[in-house]
Amino acid sequence: MRRVAVTGIGVLSPLGLDVDTVYANAHAGRSAIDRLDTPFAARLVAPLAATVRLPAALPFEPAKLRMLDRFSLLGLMAANQAVVDCGIALADVDRSRVGVFVGTGMGGTGAMDDGYRTLYEDRSDRIKPFTVIMGMHNAAAAWIGIEHDVRGPTLTYSTACSSSTVAIGEAWQRIARGELEMAIAGGAEAPLSNGSLKAWEAMRTLAPVDAQDARTSCKPFSAERSGMVLGEGAAMLVLEAWDVARARGARIHGEVIGYGVTNDAVHITRPTVEGQAAAMTAALRSAGLDAQDVDAINAHGTGTQANDATETAAIRAVLGAHAGRVRVSATKAIHGHLLGAAGALECVLSLLALRHDVALPTMHLRVRDPECDLDYVPDRAREAASVNVMLSNSFAFGGTNAVLALRSAR
Amino acid sequence: MSSTFEQLRSILVDDYGVAPELVTPEATWETLGLDSLAIVEMMWTAEDRFRIKLPAEQADLPTVAAVVSCIDGLIASGGSADRADGVGAAASDGPAS
Repeated sequence: MRRVAVTGIGVLSPLGLDVDTVYANAHAGRSAIDRLDTPFAARLVAPLAATVRLPAALPFEPAKLRMLDRFSLLGLMAANQAVVDCGIALADVDRSRVGVFVGTGMGGTGAMDDGYRTLYEDRSDRIKPFTVIMGMHNAAAAWIGIEHDVRGPTLTYSTACSSSTVAIGEAWQRIARGELEMAIAGGAEAPLSNGSLKAWEAMRTLAPVDAQDARTSCKPFSAERSGMVLGEGAAMLVLEAWDVARARGARIHGEVIGYGVTNDAVHITRPTVEGQAAAMTAALRSAGLDAQDVDAINAHGTGTQANDATETAAIRAVLGAHAGRVRVSATKAIHGHLLGAAGALECVLSLLALRHDVALPTMHLRVRDPECDLDYVPDRAREAASVNVMLSNSFAFGGTNAVLALRSAR
Repeated sequence: MSSTFEQLRSILVDDYGVAPELVTPEATWETLGLDSLAIVEMMWTAEDRFRIKLPAEQADLPTVAAVVSCIDGLIASGGSADRADGVGAAASDGPAS
């Protein structure tokens, strides 16, 4: 197996539009969750979201912008950032040995929502001709492939909230096995359309607005936790064979060293300790690590009753007595749940935590829950945390559990 | 009010990024850089803007002048009998899957 380096990072998230800003906000625990400011917000029970504030001028021609659903736009911009960051021109690489691996849970749901509004609300049959190409789940991956002339596998993974962890893991495997030299891998999601938000509201998994401070509405691992808050964004990595990256003197952000993916096979939404634990165990095994090698975990930590207690039990089941010494960060408290892009954003935050040797904070954890009894790094980041190996957890509706094992390049 | 040609040109320039000097009456879609998918979308936009319904067969409208003339004809004949918010154009001339 070849070692795999992360040589490029791109991110457009509620925490910021570049890596440094995202890290600064995550480190400071500044919440990007807030009241949703859109015309349809009045019809939402809990008008909350973590939005991406894009600049007015976007770096694409009007003709291209007309074809991009927001999830593709965010994904393409993040991929372009990552490619610039990796420091080489892809034109100099054998593009048949490069792949694109994108996770998205809901694809171009905004474009589909617009189409349905035309049909059902406006009672018009004039659906935009680009609706299909904007709505299709593989649009983001396809645009990234076109932009960078990638000729290898250009694949889309849709396993709900674990989509982009799966995408990064599958890309890692192909490079580790020698099938590819390089991959652009990550996730993109833009689920803040009216139809999507109402559908999530109907699931009764969304947090109500915190009466004191809307920004604190998502409270992972807290006894006060009351649900998740949806967010949008994209995060992309450039993964590269370690030896190739070293030979060209690339700046290496960190290393992907393992990946585990399992299925609960029990219930369409209810998580299981066994399935989550099996995914973490599989990631450790593929990385050749023991439980005590794990220094920190970026938890799935959604802020729902079911996830946080189950994940805590799963971490205990895998790490045993070592679990109490592991720093567990739930960054969704401040960037919301990016669904299919969540794993990629959290993988980026994990790589940044490894680079800075920091345990990122879990915010809004004021009241402890006896069922959630790990070290969640409440309120403030912990410096010089001796963080060398991390797991990044993503668990999904449908039951697909995915875990990445990451190592510092320090 | 600007002429049909001027309005169509502004659609091509603003929405599709076509260089203004390329938009002449004789210009074909190919010379303007519009492929079959873009043509379908551009015709849809023009229908919206002019409140008319263009014929489904794009081959009958190979140039800017042909579309301008078709739009003017539809507007002169009331256009509303076959209004744009009726049933959409047939897909037979759409892009291959």
